[in-house]
Amino acid sequence: MIARLRADARALPILAAIVVLFGLTAARNATYAQAGTYAAIYAIAAIGLSLLLGNVKQISIGQAGFFGIGAYSVAYLTTALNWPFWPAALVGVIAATVVGFGVGFIALRFRGHYLAMATLSFGLIVVGLFHESSLFGGASGISSIPYARLGSLSLSGYAAYWFAWGIALLAALLTLNLLRGRSGRAFETIRNDELAADVIGVPTRRYTIFAFAYAGALAGLSGTIYAAFLGLIVPEAVGVPLSIDFLLMVVLGGQGGVSGALIGAALIGFLDISGHAYENWREVAYGVLVILVVIAAPGGVIGLVRRKPRSVRNETARTPATPAPAIIAPTGDAPLTARDITKRFGGLTAVDAVNFTLERGSLTSLIGPNGAGKTTLFNAICGVGKLTAGSVSIAGRNVTGWQPHRIAALGVGRTFQNARLFDDMTVLENVVAGLIRSDKTSPIADLFAFPGLRRSEREANDRARATLARLGLESIAEMYARDLPFGERRRVELARAIAADPWLLLVDEPAAGLNASERAQLHDDLLALRARGMTLLLIEHDMKLVMAISDRVMVLKFGVMIADGDPATVRNDPAVVSAYLGTAG
Amino acid sequence: MLQLLVAGLTVGSGYALVALGIHIILRATRIVNFAQGEFVIVGGLFALTFVQLFHANAWLALAGATVLGFLLGIVYERLILRPAARFGEISLTIATIGTVFVLLYGHALVPGWGSLPQPLPAFTGEASDALNIGGVSIQYQSIWVLALLLAALAAMYLFFERTYYGKAIRAAANNPLGARLVGIDITTARAISVGIAIGLAAFGGAIIGPITLVGGAGGVAISIKGFVGAIVGGLESPVGCVVGGLLVGVLEKLLQGQFSYGVADPLIYSLLLVGLAVRPQGIFGAKSAVRD
Repeated sequence: MIARLRADARALPILAAIVVLFGLTAARNATYAQAGTYAAIYAIAAIGLSLLLGNVKQISIGQAGFFGIGAYSVAYLTTALNWPFWPAALVGVIAATVVGFGVGFIALRFRGHYLAMATLSFGLIVVGLFHESSLFGGASGISSIPYARLGSLSLSGYAAYWFAWGIALLAALLTLNLLRGRSGRAFETIRNDELAADVIGVPTRRYTIFAFAYAGALAGLSGTIYAAFLGLIVPEAVGVPLSIDFLLMVVLGGQGGVSGALIGAALIGFLDISGHAYENWREVAYGVLVILVVIAAPGGVIGLVRRKPRSVRNETARTPATPAPAIIAPTGDAPLTARDITKRFGGLTAVDAVNFTLERGSLTSLIGPNGAGKTTLFNAICGVGKLTAGSVSIAGRNVTGWQPHRIAALGVGRTFQNARLFDDMTVLENVVAGLIRSDKTSPIADLFAFPGLRRSEREANDRARATLARLGLESIAEMYARDLPFGERRRVELARAIAADPWLLLVDEPAAGLNASERAQLHDDLLALRARGMTLLLIEHDMKLVMAISDRVMVLKFGVMIADGDPATVRNDPAVVSAYLGTAG
Repeated sequence: MLQLLVAGLTVGSGYALVALGIHIILRATRIVNFAQGEFVIVGGLFALTFVQLFHANAWLALAGATVLGFLLGIVYERLILRPAARFGEISLTIATIGTVFVLLYGHALVPGWGSLPQPLPAFTGEASDALNIGGVSIQYQSIWVLALLLAALAAMYLFFERTYYGKAIRAAANNPLGARLVGIDITTARAISVGIAIGLAAFGGAIIGPITLVGGAGGVAISIKGFVGAIVGGLESPVGCVVGGLLVGVLEKLLQGQFSYGVADPLIYSLLLVGLAVRPQGIFGAKSAVRD
């Protein structure tokens, strides 16, 4: 992820230089200056959509709606109420941001093509409202919008070119800041694996809403400049075709980051002008182009020039081994209490009225045949999915119905049966992501790159490296997770889960797929964590491992707890022997 | 009132066929085809071309448009949907939107089609010929539309429920791996599913064409209204899709009768958001038993 952003940051000065050179040479040609201005205006909205689509993996075919809100705000306030441009634009951007929050909230309910349809209808509704509203001039829109002014300078013609590009490059810079900060890391985890992100403590819902609001704000800003530059706004100008144009720019230039959006907007800006005489052919060509890009070059223009980051294994890497900090666990109440936990899927009862309480600093194993409901029980504890009945208390707090990231923030770590790493991130970035919940910076701080950020980022990196060192993983810190063999994936996931020093750790089948020496290593790792004071709950099929390390063993069969006690007792329990180990003979 | 109801059911037939097509493609390929409405427009234009070729044999035109739609669907699946499927749902969605652009602006470039809507002759008599029952006038073409919709639905039912190929296609959609294991060619099954869906869209365009005119830029609206119908009725239920599509048609005419044309559409689109948020499985869809 960092590698991608570094390439993006390197491309930005080159693009800025092109903008300046073009501005200086195209000064005498009004058509070129105008095309360049439109490119800048589109670029602002495209940057927002690029972040939404490429960094957070949320589609929107309604960005023209936000653009329209910005444009109509300026149009109405400057003509009907005679406001100057700047406060009118501010109102427009704020209005678009607020609506963006609303759309983001709605978007949480939808995925993929449903979201595409929902945002498309949002765009249509906005256009419909402008079209029907007499306040905004109905079908004929609002005309004679004055130019924006900077002191005595009217921002029209050639001046508008510099003004629009100034804003566009500023937006690019701020967005890059955002993506390089904690917010960018959070986005990247959501893009890779939303569920895993939530469970390790990333407030995924909040970040998704924020991304929509941010993209809405930029589209709104783009609309305000458009209205003042053109002097006229009609409903058709902010319709579905514009939304699709924005999508086209982002896909064509390359989604994610800012450079692709700038390139895409510039391409479309100029194709729009040069293809003016062949309107239908131009649009058909756009359609063909976008299909070809999706099929043949999914990274867009920027993807063609960007080298794919390579994994590096550094055998000589040494981080001084620091002793692991002691685990600080809340005292008083039991770490985890399950009361009558019940989970049904349709007619199937996966977990049926399960009760247990874990003792502080103990290692408890949960065993049972496949389909017994073990992972479902883990999900119930972590807040993944709604409980049918029952309640979960963690350190005396009733967390039933909490979102996973809030439960994680209490100090609860978890790994998954199939090792859900963030594949497009390096091992170090994965582990740093595990620390997000203890980082308190806000997206606004990211946006303006507040001074404290560098230090907090360095601290997070050091802490993640120390965790890797303790597990002997420092040589693979710069490897991409997608390139790791399975055994290492498991250990990296464990590192990510314990990076923030949780006091309650849920581990789902950590030994599955490991060879003998890796299993021995796992045995030692788990005992070391218990020795640090962590309370562990383990799902495992490897009976040798379970019997060797557990203080207590619970047995689940078809969702019902059929045995619970110390390993020796459970091993000899006739019900367990027949249900789980199989009846002899 | 009754007049509006009949008019609503007539346009609703088009939405119902779009909704059913969206359902079939979704089942077979797990994607929502945003271009479905554009294929209705293209289907109507196919019929127009056949009418011009054969001098007003509407039945031949209808059959020709449907067959061409089916073939176009096969090509669409092979050239666009299948290659884009490798890159996930968002890429597929974008590819279908690209297709919207190609068809929306491309059809205007075809000689004889143009960008403006054109009349298509009615199946019997003139398009304006109507039956008068107690003060309510019903266009003959409306009766044809509803009868042909029912015929198409019956044909779909028989194909998917009663024939070997239909069952094989359903099996391939329900459980691709299992279907492959019992020897069903799922790649072909997918292509045929898309072909059938696009054939239905073209059929819809050809039967409602005499009433609504053919061609023009209305495809996006048809797609979304079809999708609204599918959501309202239940995207996973073919019956729900048809009923939902008809409901949207009736609602559209009632709202247009009550308010202005411009207000009706945004209200229908709002219904999509409300429907998705409140009851995503639709009226006829069962609550899913899969894990969340």
